[in-house]
Amino acid sequence: MAHGTTSRGGTSPQGSTPHGSTPRGTASRGATSVTDAPPDAGVSEAERRTLRKASRRASRKAANGGTFKARLKRDRTLVLMTLPAVLLVLVFNYIPILGNVVAFQEYDPYISDNGFVAIFHSPWVGFEQFSRLFEDSAFWDAVQNTLVLFGLQLLLFFPVPVLLALLINSVIRPRVRAVSQAILYLPHFFSWVLVITVFQQIFGGAGIIAQTLREHGHEGFDLMTDPGIFKFLVTAEGVWKDAGWGVIVFLAALASVSPDLYEASAMDGAGRWRRMWHVTLPALRPVIALLLVLRVGDALTVGFEQILLQRDAVGPGAAEVLDTYVWWNGVRNQDFSYAAAAGLIKGVVSLGLVLAANKIAHLMGEQGVYKK
Amino acid sequence: MTPNTSASGPSRRSFLASTAVATAAVAGGMPLLAACGGSDGGKKEGTTSGKDAKKILPTFVAQNVVTPDIASKNGSSLGFTGKLSLADLKTSVSGKLGKGSTIKIMSPFWGTPPKGDNPYYEAMNAKIGAKVVWQNQDGNTYDEKLGAVLASSDMPDVVVIPGWNMGGKIPSAIISKMADLGPYLSGDKVKEYPNLAAVPTDAWQRSIFGGKLRGLPMPSSYVANIVPYYRKDIFDKKGYELPTSAAEFLALAKEITNARAKVWACDDMKWTAFNSFGVLSGSEKSLGWNSVGGKLVYRVETDEYLEALEWTRKLYAAGVVHPDAKAQNQGDSSLRFASGEVLFYNNDISHWWAKTAEQAAQNKDFRIAGMDIFGHDGGDPTLWAGAPASIFAFVNKKASKAVIQDVLAAANVTAAPYGTEEYMLTNYGVEGTHYTLKDGTPTKNDKGNQEVLNAFVMLASPASTIAHPDLPEVAKAQVEWQQRMGAFTKKSSFYGLQIIEPARYTNLSNDFEQLEDDIVRGRKKISDMQQAVSDWKSQGGDKLRDWYGKLLDDSGSAQG
Repeated sequence: MAHGTTSRGGTSPQGSTPHGSTPRGTASRGATSVTDAPPDAGVSEAERRTLRKASRRASRKAANGGTFKARLKRDRTLVLMTLPAVLLVLVFNYIPILGNVVAFQEYDPYISDNGFVAIFHSPWVGFEQFSRLFEDSAFWDAVQNTLVLFGLQLLLFFPVPVLLALLINSVIRPRVRAVSQAILYLPHFFSWVLVITVFQQIFGGAGIIAQTLREHGHEGFDLMTDPGIFKFLVTAEGVWKDAGWGVIVFLAALASVSPDLYEASAMDGAGRWRRMWHVTLPALRPVIALLLVLRVGDALTVGFEQILLQRDAVGPGAAEVLDTYVWWNGVRNQDFSYAAAAGLIKGVVSLGLVLAANKIAHLMGEQGVYKK
Repeated sequence: MTPNTSASGPSRRSFLASTAVATAAVAGGMPLLAACGGSDGGKKEGTTSGKDAKKILPTFVAQNVVTPDIASKNGSSLGFTGKLSLADLKTSVSGKLGKGSTIKIMSPFWGTPPKGDNPYYEAMNAKIGAKVVWQNQDGNTYDEKLGAVLASSDMPDVVVIPGWNMGGKIPSAIISKMADLGPYLSGDKVKEYPNLAAVPTDAWQRSIFGGKLRGLPMPSSYVANIVPYYRKDIFDKKGYELPTSAAEFLALAKEITNARAKVWACDDMKWTAFNSFGVLSGSEKSLGWNSVGGKLVYRVETDEYLEALEWTRKLYAAGVVHPDAKAQNQGDSSLRFASGEVLFYNNDISHWWAKTAEQAAQNKDFRIAGMDIFGHDGGDPTLWAGAPASIFAFVNKKASKAVIQDVLAAANVTAAPYGTEEYMLTNYGVEGTHYTLKDGTPTKNDKGNQEVLNAFVMLASPASTIAHPDLPEVAKAQVEWQQRMGAFTKKSSFYGLQIIEPARYTNLSNDFEQLEDDIVRGRKKISDMQQAVSDWKSQGGDKLRDWYGKLLDDSGSAQG
């Protein structure tokens, strides 16, 4: 994209230089033309430096497509199309960020007639909320639970859609493929209430399996109230509900692989596994890297409703994660400033994680979420 | 579904059960104000009692248009156990008091709210003389929305707030944002609204927030509202005898439980354990404090509290508790009870009628009864009084005088006592449209069940009443149970006072309920609770004790 813009910029009529010619190609080429020019006897070194700088500026402008006004005129359709989305992001994502200021206050929404105006009347307490937070063992328990759940989900959940996509992709008959896809997608549309109820009916202490065992003279069991396996249970529920849905993006990536590659490799004697290893997986690699980076950015978001619904069954010691901790303190206990401090920490750490993950993706030769 | 005729709306009170309600009960019934001293009325924390309260409280004028079949005794509700004659209904509101305002009311609602302009709402509005527009919210998640609504600049004219949703900063919001109703109701001014004048003074006392009368109360009996229910039909069939001590209960529970046959003795019995072991009430923070030997103690500090948890833990450990109860929010305990999977469960007293009516068509053998709460050692129990009002309607302080007067006109209709036309309209709707008489009993039809639900009854209610014209024997059993339990009920030091703790202490006790559940389910130990109590003391509990101590010195005790 950047290259294309540069090329267009290079041929733009607005891209004239002090030399009167429009340098083609990149800005560095433009700069080179000045550097390589034969020294003029009447021109001092200082003037040549000024000329070079002017030339570089002009080249950059040309590369970017001309003046801001010109570019705005050229891209006005795209800008107009983007505007509503930018407004939405501003209103719902960026302006609310300002609300984080209450993390440095003892915010009382009822101190004024309006909850927003109350921000200006609430007393400032500096980092007191953060101090409270760091001294609260329940917060650190929530951090630990969150990270463990993230790790488990990364190991046990993330690969499943990839494997399912490979499996579905290997099915040749379209009807079988469509039906299996539909079956896999379906649980995604169930609410968490329903999913957990189904799990309770199957794996609960009075569930089908435990009761059948009892009827046959064995001990029953109760997976739903065991804090020790709760994190595996949550991951299993997530796999059952959403792994099929996660397949979509990988199938889309696989659909873009040219059949010629498979045919050529088959002609070269590659078997099924070889074709998967050398054709299919390389096609998926950028998507996997992208999703992995996104997932790392969400590392501290491991589920809210799903966990909240089961929190009481195993206790907060096993089930409290950062999101439920923020909800419990902010919404239930109305300790808004304290919850805002916890949320702010979560946001900052998540930002750091996504930047780090993106850097790693670049080092591995992948594009990641964005490029510099 | 047959209508619920209890004036205080058991369907709403039943949701007390979903909160930390542990105990409640009755005792002497000495008027609170006689026992109270001064106060720091008008402040954002503390309470208002004694002379300060007397200046604010409405004059009590008994409403004598109907006479209950069972009078209140030991703090019980009024009982109506006879057939209802529509021809003999009295009139408690003559003419329309309303002046035609439009009133927006936000209220918790359990069920599916009906459409706005339905015949029931229209009939009520016509009776009141104002247009009430309901903004109903899911009662189960009401507390999640309440804080945001109260913080907004676009608050409705009236907001209904249950006592169990008054955590965190909500009391502060009530003081900041709700109107003072004193100029309309204090002293003899209330006589303009005769049904509100008949609301018990204890309930009004609880409606004082920050030194002003701000709430329209829903009175309730202060007797324990959590009943340990048992399946009487199965007990009779199997020959089980009701236990009279904690040890007997555990032994019987083991005898009953047969997991292979999918029968467990009980559901979670924590609330009954608190009552049986004499633990101070957990329904409201102030009720958990009591003066013992001149020193204030909080419920979590008492031996009774730990003993009750330990006993409940034994029930879980013995495997006599239904596994779905262990998972807590899985399924409905009353359904497990109705299906015979558990033979004991505890819940709000309204379930007595509700399960009987529900099962009448499905299982003719089904019999539910309330077990008398036993003292854990086999003696008499010590029960602690709950709050004499549980739900309040508050008027936005920005509301005009005309709106406030119309709200009071509406409340005067909804607070009409059982046996009046206004009561029938409020609780049953329009005869022929929402209910018909069957064998002399008003019975709601489908339209009645859809439209006449818990809306108008949230505004204000008469003195706590139990009346089931369809099942009078249930009403009799309920009131008699309250009276028996009321005989063992005491009032703790701050009974009846609306106390607002300083903001710095409001979150101090938040985690105890969760810890209780962890302990009884075997996820944590009793020693963890002892540690939590120790932390509570050092993190502010002891300072809170001093604060309550000063309050007690200023206001006097309800114990007299």
